[in-house]
Amino acid sequence: MSDTTKLDGFRAEVRSWLAANAPQGWREAYKAMSHAEFAQAQRDWFLTLVEGGYAIPHWPKEWPGGGRSLAEQKIFYEELSRADCPRLLLSFVSTYHAASTFMECGTPEQKAYYLPRILEGETWCQGFSEPGAGSDLAALKCKAERQMRDGREVYVINGQKIWSTMAQYADKCLLLVRTSSQGVKQAGITFLLMDMKARGVTVRPINQIQGDQEYCEVFLDDVEVPVTDRVGEEDHGWAVAQTTLSSERGLTLMELSYRMRGALARVAGLIRQHGREGDAGILRDFGQLVIRCDSACAIADRFLLNRINGVERLGDASIVKNTYSRVLREYSLLGLRLGGLEEQYFAPITYGDLNTGNWMADFMNSYAWTIAGGSEEVQRNIVSERMLEMQREPKGWVVA
Amino acid sequence: MIELSELHDAAQKAFPADKLRPPRDEAWQLIAEMGWLMLPLPEAAGGLGLGRDAAAALHYELGKVLCTAPLIPAMLTVEALGAATELADKESWIERACGGEYIAMNLDRAKVSLGEGDMLDARLPAVPDADMASHTLVFGPDFCALVPLGAPGVAITERKTWDESRRLFDVTVAGHAIAPGMFVARGEASLAIASRLRGELVFAFGADSLGGAAACLDMTVEYLKTRKQFDRPIAMFQALKHRCADLRIQLDAAEALLWERAADSNASTTDLGAAKALASDVYRMVVEEAVQLHGGIGLTEEHNCHLFLKRAMLNLQLGGDLDHWREAAGRQALARLAA
Repeated sequence: MSDTTKLDGFRAEVRSWLAANAPQGWREAYKAMSHAEFAQAQRDWFLTLVEGGYAIPHWPKEWPGGGRSLAEQKIFYEELSRADCPRLLLSFVSTYHAASTFMECGTPEQKAYYLPRILEGETWCQGFSEPGAGSDLAALKCKAERQMRDGREVYVINGQKIWSTMAQYADKCLLLVRTSSQGVKQAGITFLLMDMKARGVTVRPINQIQGDQEYCEVFLDDVEVPVTDRVGEEDHGWAVAQTTLSSERGLTLMELSYRMRGALARVAGLIRQHGREGDAGILRDFGQLVIRCDSACAIADRFLLNRINGVERLGDASIVKNTYSRVLREYSLLGLRLGGLEEQYFAPITYGDLNTGNWMADFMNSYAWTIAGGSEEVQRNIVSERMLEMQREPKGWVVA
Repeated sequence: MIELSELHDAAQKAFPADKLRPPRDEAWQLIAEMGWLMLPLPEAAGGLGLGRDAAAALHYELGKVLCTAPLIPAMLTVEALGAATELADKESWIERACGGEYIAMNLDRAKVSLGEGDMLDARLPAVPDADMASHTLVFGPDFCALVPLGAPGVAITERKTWDESRRLFDVTVAGHAIAPGMFVARGEASLAIASRLRGELVFAFGADSLGGAAACLDMTVEYLKTRKQFDRPIAMFQALKHRCADLRIQLDAAEALLWERAADSNASTTDLGAAKALASDVYRMVVEEAVQLHGGIGLTEEHNCHLFLKRAMLNLQLGGDLDHWREAAGRQALARLAA
């Protein structure tokens, strides 16, 4: 069987499974839910995928539903967006970030303990950023001290984390802490696995400007983490964190770009609703958005194909991210413009989606993509310094 | 089957990056020798049978060096000859055109009337390099024919453009009787050729634009890395870095769309025009910033910056402008996304 035939077969299989199992009417349902109910719906959808063998196509083949090639994963995400399924927000860090951290850097015990639990629905969040360590993540200060307590060796942690996605529902946390302030700032960082139910952990959801609560602050007050829950060596967590952060590159942005293109129908609907079909100016602006959307899909596609063929270049991922996030902003702005005053009246939001047709909410939500996951500005630094090889600024700034 | 990368390589060897605006007649001869003119013809007709992606690869590479020879119109007129249904001695025409006899076509909207006895009156604006063409292709409402540029009643007038890498002529035809064998096609067949050429023409300018944009951005980034002010290369300043990064991002996204559409046999004329709109607009962004980022030297005639700037501004207009293609893309999407 040729590769193409095999891929076509996989696509057909996924499509028919989604037709039978994808949640129906979730957009309306999500609007009426509390945030906690939304999280439960996310859990249910994830477990449905586990049962169908589609939750972890990127894991090795000894796992049920694992061992899918990147080409197959691409097809899977194409079909998810085609079927307009809910995005997997709650399980994302677990199946990508946590899993790849264990697989690439974890001890045999950690792998055996944590990986199966992910498939049972145990969810992970990320405790990386801090109020004073955003783009400059290595400046993190959250402190861990090695001590003996009750006869066991633990790290005692004090500090604060922020921007932890869905941390209010997480069971566990991938945590970066400072164990040493010697040498360069990257050198004294350690990677820990923390139980979110441990004593001294306080989670406070952040109220976002559009009314969502996707991110949290996490306060750590004398929290104990057993030394066995360290990934990698002490003071060598920075490299582990790089593995975590590079676990998923491309599939999400491809999925989101395809979803955005599908959601152009919402803009078309607004044009009709307001009788602007004959307005050449509006048609031009809509046409420009369509062209930009098509190019965002094309570059996300090309990026994945380059990865599949092993010819990804340094900076390519940044280009895909900045393209998508800008077009997403343009998309919501055109919707707002067409919607007029009506869009300034409050309407309930749909959790977990970026192209909802609630244009003010979509506009505000679009900042998540220009700020989170490495800001637009950081991506520009990567493109200019690593891809265009423009000289770096001298380090060691001091107040004159 | 020739790989696309081989075409890119061949074009880069024939037209090295450090020789901008190669002399036209030498460039033309080289193009003919390379066999590029026969590239889109089916193999059965003596061509290479390559698609839009192969043509785009060449236009992209020649755009980088601001090629002065009329490969874009010539390749399309060869394609028209290949699709001819009425033309006498079709094979010999194809052979002549592929061998380097240049047959031109107008790039701007023509005024054409065909009277009794196939008497043609026409005003054909923006015919590239008419001075070196033996004939030009004329499209009427329901016919397509070859007109010899040396015939009585046919006059060519050069109209100097700001862009010095291309030469455009107005061709006027006053009372020229088209010989029966000189019709390329009539009726439906003619309309099909016209429609095909329109899409391929606009797409070719898209490819040319992105080649030019890539070369111009490279040149600009290299300049910033070597130009020193305040005791450091100015490439170190984030204010400049971020502008270059944004240009690179725009360029890559436009290229992704270009190569996707180049390989898409289902792309409509509007899809091709849409890719060109994005490409030519990105070229405009790059040249606009390139002059600014070069500072004073960018305003001098001795520096190459202005050559890209002028070609980019011309490219915006050729084959249909931004307003036209954006509106068409909007209209098409609205129809496809039916309520």
